[in-house]
Amino acid sequence: MTPEYGVAITDITSGLMNWDMWGRLGWREVKRRYRRTVVGPFWTTLSLGIFVVALGVVWSRLWGQDPKTYLPYLTSGMLTWVMFSTFCTEGSSSFFASEALIKQLRVSYTLLSIAVVWRNLIVFFHNLAIYFFICIYAGVPIAWPMLLIVPGLLVLSINGVWIVLLLGMICSRFRDIQQLVTSILQVSMFITPIFWSPDQLTGRAKILVDYNPLYHYVDIVRSPLLGKVPSAWTWFLVALMTAAGWSVTIYLFSRFRRRIPYWL
Amino acid sequence: MASIKLDKVCADFPVYGSQISFRKVLFNRTIGGLLSRPNDGSKRISVRALDHVSLDVRHGDQLGIIGHNGAGKSTMLRLLAGIYEPSHGTIKIDGGVSPLFDTSPGIDQEDTGYENIVTCGLFLGMTRQEIAAKTEDIENFAELGEYMALPVRTYSTGMMVRLGFAIATAIDPEILLLDEGLGAGDARFANRVRKRMHALIGRSSIMVLASHSDALVQQLCNRAILLDHGRIVADGTPDEVIERYKEMNAETDKALPPPTPPEDDASAEDIDLMPVAPAKV
Repeated sequence: MTPEYGVAITDITSGLMNWDMWGRLGWREVKRRYRRTVVGPFWTTLSLGIFVVALGVVWSRLWGQDPKTYLPYLTSGMLTWVMFSTFCTEGSSSFFASEALIKQLRVSYTLLSIAVVWRNLIVFFHNLAIYFFICIYAGVPIAWPMLLIVPGLLVLSINGVWIVLLLGMICSRFRDIQQLVTSILQVSMFITPIFWSPDQLTGRAKILVDYNPLYHYVDIVRSPLLGKVPSAWTWFLVALMTAAGWSVTIYLFSRFRRRIPYWL
Repeated sequence: MASIKLDKVCADFPVYGSQISFRKVLFNRTIGGLLSRPNDGSKRISVRALDHVSLDVRHGDQLGIIGHNGAGKSTMLRLLAGIYEPSHGTIKIDGGVSPLFDTSPGIDQEDTGYENIVTCGLFLGMTRQEIAAKTEDIENFAELGEYMALPVRTYSTGMMVRLGFAIATAIDPEILLLDEGLGAGDARFANRVRKRMHALIGRSSIMVLASHSDALVQQLCNRAILLDHGRIVADGTPDEVIERYKEMNAETDKALPPPTPPEDDASAEDIDLMPVAPAKV
């Protein structure tokens, strides 16, 4: 089977252009959480907030850190991590969740993927409320690098789309991968500097920071949230991951796009 | 001018993790598709739903696809819709394709009737302006009144089917693909449904309908093909093809002493169709 780049590229561009549709699909999920509940999607925010505060207070003592520096660090990292890991988990199930649709109409898979990313971006902005309060408590100063949140989120979302597309495709064919993704993410949350700072690691274990793409994915949004500029290495590695991820995805997608409905 | 051209099209469905029951299925030939193991030594099994099908559909054709369950009717429609792509052969389609296999793809239980009109309309390829222009027509047909502003979750099954049908049939299709399951609720509606279907078919340049109801094909089509085990075994006027279908059924009845009729044959006579639950996204 030879790759059909034309069809794949059309799928991607037509999906991207149809912002009306993915915008609608993304919002619909969020709106659903608003219905018939008082605080709506803020429930996830609330539980994340409780988690972050409880953990932050205890662990800052445990590691002898100032809660006023540890809490903002933990919160900004967790917010970004939650978004990123949801890209992966929802991506794994995105295609078979839309099976009925895929088997009835010719839909753009990219469109479905962007809808997932968009929805989680909206949730991220809801969750940002926690960070706002933490900032007030810890007195995080407003600094210009915070503007870098915009390119950071944009880059992370662009990566999110290939992740959802790739995992959606692979998981349609190999149903085990979904479980695998969940367990890898679980472990990654602990070995990636989210609960702890990269400075706490010394020696060869530094690899977990320097060459861990997940760390850099998180940091590209976390650093600006903390009012810092992400390092050049972070920008470089994320750019590399974006290019590599999209290349692999476009290659596999153009090769196997046509098989997806048969797999579902 | 709209046209469809199929050239030696095959569709193979891979079967994963069912090697154990392979032999059992192999003997049960009445189920339709041909099971095959590729010759290249791999262990993969696939079901060949369509086997080297070549077909020319021209502007103005109203084509009925007849055949047993599993003869390849639905697969053929899905190939024409571009949902499945052929594993061999080529399909060339001129014109926009509107598949209507189920009432309203993408209906959302939590959204109101109005919101669903927009979502489904977009899925069916309408623009916002077209949807706005058609909303009144959809409302009138669905007869839901005040319920239009309530979540679809609160509707009865019949109401939901009516809404779905009203949206689905509001499109202006160039090439219309229909599955016979499409239809709407209660008997009082049958007449209006029939009228609306005729109007929809009238607006299209090409219509393809998959059905095992002779009456429906005779009523709506000017050409028919008969599919058997994924191959076209007859092509001609509906009367000719239905004749051939009946002969074939008689032959199979003789050849296979214990006749196990496909389960939904019972409903085949009833052209106004069973209510179909709308699909969820």
